[in-house]
Amino acid sequence: MPCTRRRVSLNPMPKSHPDSVTDHLRRIEVVTDAALAHLEVERLLEEILERVRELLTADTATALLLDSSGQHLVTTASSGMEEAVRQGARVRLGEGFAGRIATTREPLVLNHVDETTVVNPILWHRGIRSLAGIPLIADGELLGVLHVGSITECQFDDTDVEFLRVAGDRVAMVTRNRLTGSGHAAALSLQRTLLPGTLPEIPGLDMAARYAPGEAGGASGDWYDVFRLPSGWLCATIGDVVGRGLDAATVMARLRTAARSYALDSADPAEVLTKLDRHIRHFEPNMMATVSYAMWEPSLGRMHLSLAGHLTPVMAPENAPAELPDIPVDPPVGAGTVPRPRRTTVVDVAPGTTVLFYTDGLVERRHRPLDDGLALLRDVVESGPAEPLCSNVMLRLVGTDPTDDDIALLAIRRHPAAVQPELTLTLDAVPESLAEVRAALRRWLPTVGATDDDLDDVLVVIGEAGANVVEHAYGPAGGRFELRLTASDGLLEGTVRDHGNWRPARGTNRGRGTQLMQQLSDELRIDHDDEGTTVYLRRSLGNRS
Amino acid sequence: MTVAHVESRNETEPQRVEITVTGEIDLSNADQVRDKLYQAIDNDLVHVSLNLTEVSYLDSSGLHILFTLAGRLQRLQTELAIVALPGTPARRIVELAGFGAVATLHP
Repeated sequence: MPCTRRRVSLNPMPKSHPDSVTDHLRRIEVVTDAALAHLEVERLLEEILERVRELLTADTATALLLDSSGQHLVTTASSGMEEAVRQGARVRLGEGFAGRIATTREPLVLNHVDETTVVNPILWHRGIRSLAGIPLIADGELLGVLHVGSITECQFDDTDVEFLRVAGDRVAMVTRNRLTGSGHAAALSLQRTLLPGTLPEIPGLDMAARYAPGEAGGASGDWYDVFRLPSGWLCATIGDVVGRGLDAATVMARLRTAARSYALDSADPAEVLTKLDRHIRHFEPNMMATVSYAMWEPSLGRMHLSLAGHLTPVMAPENAPAELPDIPVDPPVGAGTVPRPRRTTVVDVAPGTTVLFYTDGLVERRHRPLDDGLALLRDVVESGPAEPLCSNVMLRLVGTDPTDDDIALLAIRRHPAAVQPELTLTLDAVPESLAEVRAALRRWLPTVGATDDDLDDVLVVIGEAGANVVEHAYGPAGGRFELRLTASDGLLEGTVRDHGNWRPARGTNRGRGTQLMQQLSDELRIDHDDEGTTVYLRRSLGNRS
Repeated sequence: MTVAHVESRNETEPQRVEITVTGEIDLSNADQVRDKLYQAIDNDLVHVSLNLTEVSYLDSSGLHILFTLAGRLQRLQTELAIVALPGTPARRIVELAGFGAVATLHP
């Protein structure tokens, strides 16, 4: 049905007047100027849409932006049809009014809207009878669709489309700049959220880290992570998702979480990286990342390491030159076609040794061969306190040069072997603390002359005492307990102390633990008073007859 | 403001306590309710009965308290029973959340 009825323009100036378009645009510019620079994309679009709707005497003005899949248009802002934004209305490319504009990249006018010509039931329910829309294109890239609607049939003509088209160019430019800016901001804030604010405190280790975003386009996909497992092992990952910006940062966030999940289920770094490889192949098919995944034994004396295309860590022994150890490197995760078996290398970490993990941004420069960068790094690193080491490495390797790529750096130093005659620990009375107690004993007892048999026995005595605190000492609000051990002249003495109320042991193992503790000690006493309960133990170390 | 009252009284048998909660539990007062419950429970108890019949509103923050309490009492080897008449809001919520697996529900 052709349009026979023309609307009467409410604008004082005739629409055909050449000045009117210019005048309209000036009014659009008012909302795109610097005064609104702080607005988010959605608010900015709302402002512009409101002007567009008023200027065209339309009932609705709506912007749909392409989603991250590039397959759907999502209603992002509207003036007059806000419910479409609230309902998250979306339309597939090629379908319906907006979908067709996006596919053809051509303006479209519909003068008789009905259920067969629009997909979105909201348009129909809103009573829209005519529509005009244009594609939003910036630098040849489709960003979305802008359309206006009217409850009157035959509301829009070519002059309106011409205006929409010019307004749309401005909207597209502003949107793109804003989206790019917010993408950078989002990537940076994702990095900030996910990089550990403080590294876990592990007795016997000194850790420090650095992250510096590259200057070519904000943050990308570098990350590092240090966490303890329930088994008492310590995990340290560092990785680099190939790519830039929000996409790489998002994949980084997912890989970091996936690595943590797989770490909980495996004691073998090669296995964790194999699972991470499957993960990225399946869920992020076009992405690739290099990862170094290391696990420390609770004694801290050995590190189990698997490298997925990642640069070898620098190992700096105490009072000896640093080296880049010869560790086999397997392919990055997500790369190539056929997953191959991965390898774990066990590396001895002597007391006083520093291990430095880093991403390639630290050593790669356009004007310098990679091997030169690695050699420089090796020369700069020497074992010592971790914080100053990180500062010094960044100073010497980066200095004042702008860097293209992100840099992540993680230094872990094992304390030098000074004999500590005393071990003290204060812990929450929760089951998870027991593994921490065992890890601390495994590190400390061998340094004060305990044999493997001593270690096994003392682990049980202290473990039972700790378990008693966890099980019996406190009500549901919980509490803390202290372990204090001293060793001298082959004699181990100490206490496990809580501040709860003593109660008799209960349950199926009632009393058995105490009996065991007594059998494995030379002397064992359990005192309780108003202040709490103290387990006192004494045991000789070394060869026992 | 959301208000809940926690009242405990020792049962006739020793080492048993009955705690009655009334009012509403949501995110705004869940921590206070939790602290009051913890204060009312000593480690020498063998049985805790928690009456929620008069709780007129209980959401996921309340469930979080209940599941945490159940876990800690299990570690202390202290029995936990929830009393809530069928048809009451609390009964409905604890049943939907599968709380019967970690504590007995009465009646």
